[in-house]
Amino acid sequence: MNLRAIGCNVTSAPVEVRERLAFAPSLLPRALAELNARYGAEAVILGTCNRVEIYLARPEEEAPLHAPLLAEFLSELHGLPADTILPHLYEYADADAVRHLFRVASGLDSVVLGEGQIAGQVKEAYEMARQAGSTGPLLNSLFPAALRVAKRVRTETGIGRGHASVSSAAVDFLLTVFDTFTDKTVLVIGAGKMGRLTLQHIQQLQPARTLVTNRNRDKAIQRATEFGGQFIPWEQLDEALIQADIVLSTTGAPEPIVSRQRFDEKVRYQRSGRPLVIFDMAVPRDFDPAIHDGETVILFNVDDLTRVANQALAQRRKHVPAAEAIISQEVRQFVLDWNRRKDGPIIGRLTAEVDRLREAIVAPLLQRFNGKLSEADKAYIEGAFRLFQNRLLHGPIAALQEASRLGQGQTLREAIRKLFGLNDS
Amino acid sequence: MAPSWLQNVTYACFGLSYLLAWLLEWGAWLWPSGDRLCRWGALGFGLAGLVAHTVFLIVRHPTPAVPDGALLLLAWVLALFYVYGVLHQAGRAWALFLLPVIIGLVVLAGLVARLEPAALRDTVPAWITGQRFWGALHGTLILLASVGISVSFVASLMYLLQARRLRKKIDPGRVLPLLSLERLELLNRRAIAVAFPLLTAGLLLGLILWPADPGSQHEWLSVKVLSTGALWLVFGVLVYLRYGTHLPPRRLAWLSMAAFALLLVALMAAHPFAPGGDTP
Repeated sequence: MNLRAIGCNVTSAPVEVRERLAFAPSLLPRALAELNARYGAEAVILGTCNRVEIYLARPEEEAPLHAPLLAEFLSELHGLPADTILPHLYEYADADAVRHLFRVASGLDSVVLGEGQIAGQVKEAYEMARQAGSTGPLLNSLFPAALRVAKRVRTETGIGRGHASVSSAAVDFLLTVFDTFTDKTVLVIGAGKMGRLTLQHIQQLQPARTLVTNRNRDKAIQRATEFGGQFIPWEQLDEALIQADIVLSTTGAPEPIVSRQRFDEKVRYQRSGRPLVIFDMAVPRDFDPAIHDGETVILFNVDDLTRVANQALAQRRKHVPAAEAIISQEVRQFVLDWNRRKDGPIIGRLTAEVDRLREAIVAPLLQRFNGKLSEADKAYIEGAFRLFQNRLLHGPIAALQEASRLGQGQTLREAIRKLFGLNDS
Repeated sequence: MAPSWLQNVTYACFGLSYLLAWLLEWGAWLWPSGDRLCRWGALGFGLAGLVAHTVFLIVRHPTPAVPDGALLLLAWVLALFYVYGVLHQAGRAWALFLLPVIIGLVVLAGLVARLEPAALRDTVPAWITGQRFWGALHGTLILLASVGISVSFVASLMYLLQARRLRKKIDPGRVLPLLSLERLELLNRRAIAVAFPLLTAGLLLGLILWPADPGSQHEWLSVKVLSTGALWLVFGVLVYLRYGTHLPPRRLAWLSMAAFALLLVALMAAHPFAPGGDTP
């Protein structure tokens, strides 16, 4: 195996470097083609907001690629000095590179431990490279295996259980209240940046409409335009609360804008018991916590969501050893399978060559005794030669398989090729 | 005449199959790595239970007019619902909540069958055992209403649990996934909307047929009559509260559960049509 995983992530490189090294979709095919042509390497480029990694595989007889060379390549491509890039790059070789990819795909190397999006991004990166024609036998085995391992890790451990980010926790709570969203109304109160990610997550559920209100009319109109929503004047907040099913509040008001008394008098009873989920992302809080009843009004503030996210993260950490054990087992199996696959052709050629030699000796021998041997005698002689051949080959084949298991098969394969005069044709 | 080995199918056969299916459903939740194995195992035992249950009903053909027959038939229809739910990916929670109801009904049927006078079965009027059309229709309507009430009970139970979790803001990712409040409320509402007219029609039919049957004991204060009347009243209140007022769904859920309790009493009580049936 001649495999390298070279790249940087959120722990090895600051965002200023990572954003310079990011591959725009238009640049990816060119970069993959360049890696193919220049280094004769299979290549997959994995780019997410937290990492840029390049997986390279070359034939075993060729020298492996190293980080300095790749730093120069990235430098040419992105116009950043190689000296600036190199200190931030890490490099994993062979089985370690396999392990790294398996960990990445399983979310063990993610900022949010166990997050599930990364497997999709790995798949996307692989598909793009495959379409660009930059993958070969090794990466075509490695990436599907990584996706399978990721699935296994998620299924067999609790690493992906719960929601380890505030926005996904919010969506998860929403899913316990509502079944469909295409008939729901989302109300955004305030124009603050807090909760923007949560709103993006909520909008992915495709609610029927989004209402936006704010004390500052211009800001509210601007935000409504930004989110494809409908502007509601601040004075109509109570009416908007009656219509809404989901509220996301992010004002910078110094005291609650909706007290329990106001809510009970002007909103609660007019809603006819329809459930209302409020995400109060403001600090100080916009809604009086006393309006939460857990059934018709379900109110979450930042602390509630953060607590849930932290609990989920703590739970996920407990599953790391089990996930690492699965990955270790899968890495061993992958390396073993790959090496066996590499041994297959040489063992096939060796057997065929010795078969040919045996036939060349046995056929004239039987010809010489033609008429003097019974069929049983002929079968016995052929069997004896075959047994001899098997015993002769057992040693080299077993040694080759053992060397391959230890990742040292290449030297022995070369030796066998030379000793038995095997050529590639 | 059924083969003799089919005669050996007992309550224990399908009751234990349902119990194993339920335990395996729990296993699938508690043991994520064996999820698939457990779920297939659960479905296998669930189906085996359903087959044994069906064989039992075919061989013994219990009448819905006697308590154990009514309970067994209700459990059988609910078992069909369970299999349908599992096959249509209704989620693990459905099986976990419905199976105990089925098991409970089977256990009750077994207990009631032991306590019930054997002679009762032979003295049930012919019209109510399904030998005549109107009797069969009466039984079918009540049975279908019972199914609706049971589904409403399961949905209410899940609703109350889900609402409690939300009230305490428990992370949904760390607990058994349940259907959303919206779906459960809809399920409950539909079950009530279907069960109430069926129950009303079934009871009306019974009231019309009963006085016309000369062999019946006309005991209006029997447990069966009283509990069924109370059940109908609770359902009437439920329908009014659901559609006439905006009572919080949690209170409706509690009422649905009370209706189910009344249903059990009504089903377990001997039928007043039957001579020797219960008297208070």
